[in-house]
Amino acid sequence: MAEVHIIGQIYGATGFPEHSLFCKWGIHTGGAWKILAGEREGQSQVDNPVNHEAAFFAHPIDIHFATKGLQGWPKLHFQVWHQDSFGRNELYGYGFCHVPTSPGQHTIECPTWRPSGTYREQVTQSFLGGGPQLKNPDLIYSSALRCKLTTVAMGTVHLKLGVILRNFDKFGIEC
Amino acid sequence: MASSSVFLVMVSGQIESAEFPEFDEIYLRYNLHYGQDWLVTSGLEEGISQVAKKSQDDRQQIVWNFPIDVTFKSTNPHGWPQLVVHCYGSDFWGTEVSRGYGVCHIPITPGKHKLKIPMFVPESSSLLQKFTSWFLSRRPEYVDARVIARGEGREVTRVRSQGFVNISFNVIMKDMKKLGYDVLPSDVSTVNVPENVGTTATEA
Repeated sequence: MAEVHIIGQIYGATGFPEHSLFCKWGIHTGGAWKILAGEREGQSQVDNPVNHEAAFFAHPIDIHFATKGLQGWPKLHFQVWHQDSFGRNELYGYGFCHVPTSPGQHTIECPTWRPSGTYREQVTQSFLGGGPQLKNPDLIYSSALRCKLTTVAMGTVHLKLGVILRNFDKFGIEC
Repeated sequence: MASSSVFLVMVSGQIESAEFPEFDEIYLRYNLHYGQDWLVTSGLEEGISQVAKKSQDDRQQIVWNFPIDVTFKSTNPHGWPQLVVHCYGSDFWGTEVSRGYGVCHIPITPGKHKLKIPMFVPESSSLLQKFTSWFLSRRPEYVDARVIARGEGREVTRVRSQGFVNISFNVIMKDMKKLGYDVLPSDVSTVNVPENVGTTATEA
């Protein structure tokens, strides 16, 4: 069986309107993939930077997959949330990216977006916070019902991922 | 035949310097955190550096030049070693307080790497606690610094990130390819180098 190791960090996030951010992440794969070791999802710390603009999570990711097929290559998806000083959480963005298919060290910048409501909802959102969220988080990484959404761009999530592959050349796969 | 079920990763490098705009004197402690399948065969798993003062010129650098030399042996890349750095400094009252934690994976590709890791420090939950911790010099700290090398339990912590530490690594690996692991894109596809490369090919 071919194996894939994903070893790296969710480094941080830039470009969001406020500080005090945290990131919920998960990894989605097709049916042929099986997790042998590691966490499939998690949530980072809440970071409030003191004297620079980017929020740094430094959240480690170490997952070991075994797979029988190439379909459903792992996708990492994120939700960036803002936590204010009262402990309330507000959604700041959804994003996803595929795990790189070639072995080695990669730096990935994943853009994020959040659903935007009607004009009235946007005005309420600027005063009270909150705002529309996805009922089904699968939409973050699937293209099925995206045509029904209107979204607005938010910041970027930065990742440093290392990918180690095993036995891919034995199966004749070039990556 | 039985000898090639392990691979070796040799890491040599240094914790070069740091940028902390707010603090003048820092020393650090480093720790290596790795999974159950890994073992340190030589080198020190932890160390404490000298106390470094910030330079008074424009660069405002804090330099340690602190060596790291470790060799690992493992059967499985899961639990790849991480370097956990914990910086300390003196506060206004002269007590040692924690100035930042940082973590990074040892690079998974052989060669030379230069990393800049952000440092963060846990934040007190309320304003009153912030004031008492400043006053009594008891800042929030992690019980074991290696907790930041794991993902669990991080969601309940609030941190402030301040400063960066520059680290350079040189990584050598042995027997990764023998066990079937590919860490570089060129490893996966075998390149067929033709026999007559470089010789004059005058057959027209």
